[in-house]
Amino acid sequence: MTSAEPLLKIRDLTVSFGMGHHSVQAVAGVSFDIYEGETLGLVGESGCGKSTTGKALMRIVEPTSGTIELDGVDLVAQKGKALRNIRTRMQMIFQDPISSLNPRRRIKDIVAEPLDCWKSASGAERDAVVSDLLVKVGIDPKVYGNRYARQFSGGQCQRISIARSLAMRPKLLICDEMVSALDVSVQAQILNLLEDLKKEYGLTLLFIAHDLAVVKNVSDRVAVMYLGKICEIGPSNTLYLEPAHPYTKFLLGAALEADPDSPVHGDVLAGEPPSPMNPPSGCRFRTRCPNATQQCADVEPELNEIAPGHRVACHYPLTVKTRRTRTPRSAA
Amino acid sequence: MNQDDQRLLVVDNLATTFHTAGGPLPAVGGVSFDLNRNETIGVVGESGSGKTVLTRTIMGLQQRTNVTVTGSVLLDGHEMVGASENDKRALWGTEVAMIFQDPMTSLNPVMRVGKQIDESLRVRLGMSKADAKARAIELLELVGIPSPAHRYNAYPGQLSGGMRQRVVIAIALACSPKLLLADEPTTGLDVTIQAQILNLLDELKEQLHMSVILVTHDLGVVATRTSRIIVMYAGRIVEIGSTREVFAAHRMPYTRALLESSPKVTNDPHTRLVTIPGRPPNLLKLTNGCSFAPRCSFANDRCHQERPELQSADEPGHAFACWNPLPKTRKRTVKTT
Repeated sequence: MTSAEPLLKIRDLTVSFGMGHHSVQAVAGVSFDIYEGETLGLVGESGCGKSTTGKALMRIVEPTSGTIELDGVDLVAQKGKALRNIRTRMQMIFQDPISSLNPRRRIKDIVAEPLDCWKSASGAERDAVVSDLLVKVGIDPKVYGNRYARQFSGGQCQRISIARSLAMRPKLLICDEMVSALDVSVQAQILNLLEDLKKEYGLTLLFIAHDLAVVKNVSDRVAVMYLGKICEIGPSNTLYLEPAHPYTKFLLGAALEADPDSPVHGDVLAGEPPSPMNPPSGCRFRTRCPNATQQCADVEPELNEIAPGHRVACHYPLTVKTRRTRTPRSAA
Repeated sequence: MNQDDQRLLVVDNLATTFHTAGGPLPAVGGVSFDLNRNETIGVVGESGSGKTVLTRTIMGLQQRTNVTVTGSVLLDGHEMVGASENDKRALWGTEVAMIFQDPMTSLNPVMRVGKQIDESLRVRLGMSKADAKARAIELLELVGIPSPAHRYNAYPGQLSGGMRQRVVIAIALACSPKLLLADEPTTGLDVTIQAQILNLLDELKEQLHMSVILVTHDLGVVATRTSRIIVMYAGRIVEIGSTREVFAAHRMPYTRALLESSPKVTNDPHTRLVTIPGRPPNLLKLTNGCSFAPRCSFANDRCHQERPELQSADEPGHAFACWNPLPKTRKRTVKTT
């Protein structure tokens, strides 16, 4: 939130996948902004559409409708060379560190691939850029540059992925579950590295993850998704301390703290998310929400601002008094 | 108070060595602990620390030609190490059962889930077809599957990950085992589903008077659901003690590093995490010293040359393997439950 104009402006983004005679809306009308220099965390359970949102921003999957504006240019309308040009400014890091690197290429060539594609550096200059990137992510290019991905651990592969993504000096980095396959001690190394590089390269991050503790540690703001829609977005500390959406509260209640004295066996959200092929009418969370009423079934709640920068899509947002308690209000 | 009959499981100097092309690989290198009836113990450690191999060895699944198992696993008076397949088969299901890590692949995809639960009831308990079916539906209900009679006929592919893990639990519980080995039972599940499954395991443990070994890499999972914790590193126990003691007054630097490097929900954005330099050791190239020494900031010459054995801390039952343990910490005030 360093500048008033957002770097990335997403409006009513939808992504549908055809499934025989049906179609499923993986992302069902999502709007949010990412400001230059910030880290926006995107959390939610499997199938809520968080990865699809990230991929749609890169146009790895095609958005069905909506606009994605990067510095005022609508990405959805671009194609061909113009799209290729824009893509250099956004890069993505994927979940599985090992399978996202080509097993048959040496890592120095993997990191140099973006440079080769764009012919932006060659010969000694190219090697210098690659060496520099590898050093930045903590891999010695002299010793390891000629090795293959299989000769590295998961954490090291993720470092190589980061080096590759930085080769074109992007402004926006989309990190899709980038630490979820790593052990805690390695995860901490990668998260610290990401913070360092973010400062050094002036990056803006969209950090997609299911681990609430990891997201809290890196994000300035957090958006919570449920069944293809954003149900709450706000500054991390506010959202974690005083969630306004019942789903956010349940999600946080289910996050386990590594502390034997932390309160346990709080209210556990019953049931499982409904099928996105046939989402509930009105509010999509109403089938599992203890506070749901007829209004929730009839009218879809809008994402309304309840405090500066804090938006929630709920007809009955939790008030400050009820937010901190662990017992849900009984249905009105 | 600790009479022998209180102890369901006694593991003594258990070692599992794989004979690989690169030489002997000591995946579990001399582990001793015991487990009381009705107790839940947590086993934590990073990938490759030997926690899964330990549980598989206790279960007696590790008996192939390229493996050597030494030491003893005494389960309710039955020795598992060196037991014949037939002897072990007599114990599986009724004495000990296991929940495997991946609910996606531990079920047979072309067999209805009800039949997979029936199997052990009919073979192990000799139930009739109709009785077994009725009991299987009861079990599905017990593990919280809605419309169990209908789900009895479902294939695993028709169920979600959380539902499949519930089916796996139902299979494990079918013959009322005394010991349940849960190897990462919630890894790969969403947090809200994870909470449901962990609560379910807690309830069932009370209801069926089981002992549970809960293996996980997630310290949050064991923090509030176990009475004791084992911390493993490079195939050995480096610290063992009551859960509160291990969290609040741990003495082994690795335990501290593991606790400190986990991100916390209460941290502010951009909090710098404490990291452990380096990587876990290659088990093929273990030295005589402490396995953690190359990554430990307290290590001295002795640590590199001589392996520390478990030594007792002040609290009974709390032990750690370290030459330069952390100073005794002032304990946090603990609530009694």
